[in-house]
Amino acid sequence: MYEELLEDIAHKSALRETHTGVKIVTGAGAIILCLLSPGFLAPLLVAAVLLMALVFLARVDVSTLGHVYAAPALFAVFSVSAIVLVAGGGETFWQWQPAPWFSLSVSRAGINQGVLVFARFIGGTTGLVFIALTTPMTDLFSVMRRLRVPDEVIDLAMIIYRTIFMVMAHVVQVYGAQVMRLGYSTFRESLHSFARLCGAVFISSWEAGEDLIRAMEARCYAGKFAVLGKDRPADPLSLAAVATFFVLTGAVAVTTADVTLF
Amino acid sequence: MHIMEGFLPLEWAAFWWAVAIPCLVFGIYQLRRTLSADREALPLLGVTGGFIFILSSLKLPSVTGSCSHPTGTGLSAVCFGPFVTSVVCAIVLLFQSLFLAHGGLSTLGANIVSMGVVGPFAGWVVYRALRDTRVSLPLTIFLSCAIADLLTYVVTSLELALAYPAGVGGVVSSFVLFLGIFAITQVPLAIVEGIVLALVFKYIVSLKPEILVRLRVFPEEKIRAAGGGVQ
Repeated sequence: MYEELLEDIAHKSALRETHTGVKIVTGAGAIILCLLSPGFLAPLLVAAVLLMALVFLARVDVSTLGHVYAAPALFAVFSVSAIVLVAGGGETFWQWQPAPWFSLSVSRAGINQGVLVFARFIGGTTGLVFIALTTPMTDLFSVMRRLRVPDEVIDLAMIIYRTIFMVMAHVVQVYGAQVMRLGYSTFRESLHSFARLCGAVFISSWEAGEDLIRAMEARCYAGKFAVLGKDRPADPLSLAAVATFFVLTGAVAVTTADVTLF
Repeated sequence: MHIMEGFLPLEWAAFWWAVAIPCLVFGIYQLRRTLSADREALPLLGVTGGFIFILSSLKLPSVTGSCSHPTGTGLSAVCFGPFVTSVVCAIVLLFQSLFLAHGGLSTLGANIVSMGVVGPFAGWVVYRALRDTRVSLPLTIFLSCAIADLLTYVVTSLELALAYPAGVGGVVSSFVLFLGIFAITQVPLAIVEGIVLALVFKYIVSLKPEILVRLRVFPEEKIRAAGGGVQ
């Protein structure tokens, strides 16, 4: 019914204490490098290096990574199929043109574009997952404050963050009770049970919000939450490793720019 | 419906960020005005954002058995208006990408435009058009949430079509294909989400109608007509 949050894994990650800026630069830089790469090999190399870092340095379970990629991969398969079918160009292996303005085909250029987009998806998602699995949200709040994100947005984000865990615990309890009473036995019953679950959670969230107002007033809230973030120094070894990673993958992106699968 | 990380070429990712940022700036301005008028709105907005996050991570009952998630943005647009919703949605989308790997950072701008701006705005327009008419409260919510969902999916298809125009027929041909592919899952999803959120409102009306009165979502007469004993 609900999914495991990557946040829980990030708190247990062996890279938890590494400098937050280094981890964000690594993940975000990897995403930009994947998008800039004209060939498909560099994004795959980015994905391979970051996955190894996640498994061997951050000590993330391999089966967890499989779960993380399952939902995005479904969207990727649908969308890449569409890109391959509409792209056209080059040698054509199959074509269907039901209207003068609409044609579906499988061509050499189409397959190559599909492979490039899929490789960028794998590399980019791995960059995102690297940040998600090594950096808890509380560390990111400190970074947001340093980047001068408006206080209202950070405060709102912190309350949403806190509420997620509170609401999730409630959802698990209500859902468990509904399942035990065969609340999801038929489609019609499922709709009603799901709506009752959402309604009950909305009301309890609202009541939690009212409690929070009282708690904030009692603690003299003056329009800005305190953000406690530790300033860890950046380790020279990790800086050297990140620099080597970008030089290596950047060089591969340049030298393999013209390499295609077909 | 999220566009995943790495899917949009850099120039299109940057373009959608450029479209999203002015909407967010105006949303933050509206948020500041709301908070200066009513300080209690912050925790209530926060818990609503948390609720939307959880709602969007729950699997909807599906006829085909496929994995479908509601967006919940129509609900927020009805309760808080489209501009504040864009800020709440931007935060929720950031959390979804970092907590669940749904969406991405480079594609966050495109996702904010589809799920946080156009979808909620369309839902809000429908809600405002029907709010003071004789159309019943559950039907108003159903139409608002279903239209918000459908527009989100139409805009996502447009974003993909602009980034990947077809060899024959260009953007239009590509748009038709993306619409057709995503219609398989998104049209039933929009209908089911509309029904579920209409039932959620009905549930809130019968158990805690004061919430809807506090938010001034519907006139008290309409809430009473829907079965809510407003005190």
